Amino acid sequence: MADYREAPLATRPKTLDPNEYFNLSPDYRRAEAERAALRAGLKRQYQLQLNNPHRKELIEDPALNRWVYARANPYNHFKATKKTSLLGALFGVAPLFILYYVFKTDRVRSFNWMCAGLWVC
Amino acid sequence: MAGVGFQRWVRTLSKGKISGISGLLPACRSGEILTYFPINIGEIAAAAKKYNIRVEDYKPIADNGEGYGDYPQLPDRSQQDRDPAYQWDHPDLRRNWNEPMHWDFDMFIRNRVDTSPTVVPWSTMCKQLFGFVGFMLFMFYLGDKFPAYQPVGPKQFPYNNLHLERGGSPDVEPEEVKNYEI
Repeated sequence: MADYREAPLATRPKTLDPNEYFNLSPDYRRAEAERAALRAGLKRQYQLQLNNPHRKELIEDPALNRWVYARANPYNHFKATKKTSLLGALFGVAPLFILYYVFKTDRVRSFNWMCAGLWVC
Repeated sequence: MAGVGFQRWVRTLSKGKISGISGLLPACRSGEILTYFPINIGEIAAAAKKYNIRVEDYKPIADNGEGYGDYPQLPDRSQQDRDPAYQWDHPDLRRNWNEPMHWDFDMFIRNRVDTSPTVVPWSTMCKQLFGFVGFMLFMFYLGDKFPAYQPVGPKQFPYNNLHLERGGSPDVEPEEVKNYEI
């Protein structure tokens, strides 16, 4: 496995990560074990609910609820910093004035051309 | 900073009681909503527990005032990048139940943005694409500046330069126009 090269357009699978074989430090192994334990706990919860014969309702996904709520309510945590103010001005305020100016100038110019008989469609 | 002190005061006041529409949602009542950016160890630990991440692994998205709250910063890998052979709970999304979702999860689904490694490096791709497009643009510009065509002269018409068709009177004798040389 030492000369394994990743397949094109794919990342190296976790089972072939060299850290799994060579990184034997206890801290890293403990961290990996904790992560695996978290994942296994979630899997177990899901399987218990999935295979429960008395279950009549949909299985609710708390991570999905959290994500949906977080995406729907960013304004509760909004702060007016330099960056956010700049972005707001750039995307919210500037286009109004720029587009007004562009359209007005274009309309006025074409109207004057039409009046002078210069307008060629 | 005064802002941070005010935030903590608001936090202690609002702990536990959530009023308004948020109080009706089951996620809010069980305390799983997006809370403020964590400042001390206790809040970090609580947030890590809420999102099912190890405390050492939990890293909130930088507090720029852009509205992320305490949502964790997960690696920016697309779902296409994940192992296709593993038995996911949701195989089409390549995701397990209750696994923490990336903030841009809807961008990283398999139909959309893909962060899988490319066959050639990004720099090579950029050079090839922009090199070709730039070269073609330059050549078309040159072709426009220095046109190459067969030598042409003004168009010649028969019947004395179409004397009658151009509205000339049939009585008037048109001048002889000779467009040839023998």
